[in-house]
Amino acid sequence: MKRYDLIVVGAGPAGLSAAIEAARCGMRVAVFDENAKPGGQLFKQIHKFFGSKEHQAKIRGYKIGETLLAEAAEAGVEVFLNATVAGIYLDKELLVQRGEVMEHFKADTIIIATGAAENMVTFEGWTLPGVIGAGAAQTMMNLYGIKPGQKVLMLGSGNVGLVVSFQLMQAGCEVVALVDAAPRVGGYGVHAAKIARCGVPFYLAHTITKAEGSNCVTGVEIAQVDDDFAPIPGTEKHFDVDTICLAVGLSPMSQLLKMAGCNMVDDPRRGGQVPQVDENGETSIPGLFAAGDVSGIEEASSAMIQGRMSGLAAAAYLGFLSEQDKDNRLADLEIALDSLHQGMFAPGSKGKTIAKTDEGIAVSQSLLKKGYLDDADLERFINRSDQTDKKSGIHPVIECTQNIPCNPCQDACTRGCIKVGKTITALPRIDAANSCTGCGMCIASCSGQAIFLVDEDYAPGYASITLPYEFLPRPQKGELGIALSRSGRPLGYAEIIDVRSAKAYDQTTLVTIKVPVEQAMTARFYQPETNAAGQ
Amino acid sequence: MTRISEHPILGETEKGRRVTFFMDGKTIEGYAGEPIAVALKAAGVMVHRYTQKAHEPRGIFCAIGRCTDCVMIVDGVPNIRTCITPLVEGMKIQTQDGVSGLEVSE
Repeated sequence: MKRYDLIVVGAGPAGLSAAIEAARCGMRVAVFDENAKPGGQLFKQIHKFFGSKEHQAKIRGYKIGETLLAEAAEAGVEVFLNATVAGIYLDKELLVQRGEVMEHFKADTIIIATGAAENMVTFEGWTLPGVIGAGAAQTMMNLYGIKPGQKVLMLGSGNVGLVVSFQLMQAGCEVVALVDAAPRVGGYGVHAAKIARCGVPFYLAHTITKAEGSNCVTGVEIAQVDDDFAPIPGTEKHFDVDTICLAVGLSPMSQLLKMAGCNMVDDPRRGGQVPQVDENGETSIPGLFAAGDVSGIEEASSAMIQGRMSGLAAAAYLGFLSEQDKDNRLADLEIALDSLHQGMFAPGSKGKTIAKTDEGIAVSQSLLKKGYLDDADLERFINRSDQTDKKSGIHPVIECTQNIPCNPCQDACTRGCIKVGKTITALPRIDAANSCTGCGMCIASCSGQAIFLVDEDYAPGYASITLPYEFLPRPQKGELGIALSRSGRPLGYAEIIDVRSAKAYDQTTLVTIKVPVEQAMTARFYQPETNAAGQ
Repeated sequence: MTRISEHPILGETEKGRRVTFFMDGKTIEGYAGEPIAVALKAAGVMVHRYTQKAHEPRGIFCAIGRCTDCVMIVDGVPNIRTCITPLVEGMKIQTQDGVSGLEVSE
């Protein structure tokens, strides 16, 4: 029987982070993962992450995955793939299936980082081929380069539903509607705004009543729901689709912890059956830890910090790290984790209705119901006297209206035009005392694609708007297309006057359009005319 | 056009060697090493199996080997999770009917 100082189950963001920290302390570490490739779900995450520098904000998920794998290799972590941990027994003995063989391993400490599984909902026809999980859609398009479908309806307006909807469009699929039984969008408003401005209609307080088709999905019927989530007869709507995507939450895959005999609790706020853990992830069994989604659904950024914390705690448990060093290093990680737990979407805010931002501004109800800011919201958030740059010329317009832990825009602007301040969840403010050079770094650094550069004085009667663009084909300078509003409504012709790509923009193209000056604060997206004609 | 030829963020997808395999007797092309389910998807195959009792169609659902909805008969072995089993040249895939192969009229 092979023996390790630490065995980590799961080679996702939490597990790899834990293994790296422990191995750097001198521990002999093995990681088992049932999949053929390491990285968990990170390699399917092609969007830029939120957070601050220490959370690797504005870096795309798959690149964070590449960094973790390199660090694990360098630290001497042994990663076993196609290795399913089938059981944990007394004294930290593990049973592992590799191919046709069952093997026993012995660990002195164990970290369970098995992540989460997707939830599903049932409706008539939900088992038809063509009804898929949002994770399946990501796997197909972002790992294997294949479209999950041509016309897709998304159920679920949490961050997964919103992010995957955008990724579906990036892959060339049409998203016909975003549906959620809840009365409000569950995920970040900036993610919702990205898909709303592409013209995707939001149906909140709606649910799927049936998937249509005999051998596979050919259509879907949705209906409005009442306060008890029951469909209201007579409100049914039909869409022709070949794919229905379900993004209805995640549940911790905590079975191994239960099997090991850890004290478990049923905590709906953490996503279901989760282990009782201390602040470093240690369960009721000394030396056995849980990190990442398995001990409560959050996201990859906090999973990585939790992983590192449990890795250090495991090292200290076996004496590879002094108690004092452990305390010092954990203190920093706790601050980083704590900052991710702030704001409107913090774990503690789950289920609460928030009426005002921390700044005391009434939140946008339009954003929560339709996915975009309306005119009244602009008055409150954007056109405030202290937020308007009175000088002529180009200036940033930041449509970030919810308190979320994210601040790369502040670091991106070398001119000091954008201020978030020490509180990472504060709304970014424009400092009109400094002048914008139009470099565009703020646009590319905003993971929510919520920053635009506007110049009302571009030419007599015309304004220029620079916006983030992550679709193909990339527009060409001189091209004529359609300017779209925040709701995706065509406003008229727009001319492409500049297209910028740079390594520092990381695959985000900065497209500058010329529109009539009265559209300076309404035009927020660009559609090539060929697409417009095709729809 | 199910395959993504070029992606705005990921560029071109790395693919293995182009190979042929057999699906219910028909010859289909795919890329070696990609999941069987992906090659079938590219070929327009939606139904992977029919359930034993109600004879209902099933296809890809989770795509990560967890739900077992996409199982098929691969080289004579039933219940193979096609979403996580790599495609090998010359593989014989059959639509699964219960636990047997679906009878195909040629």
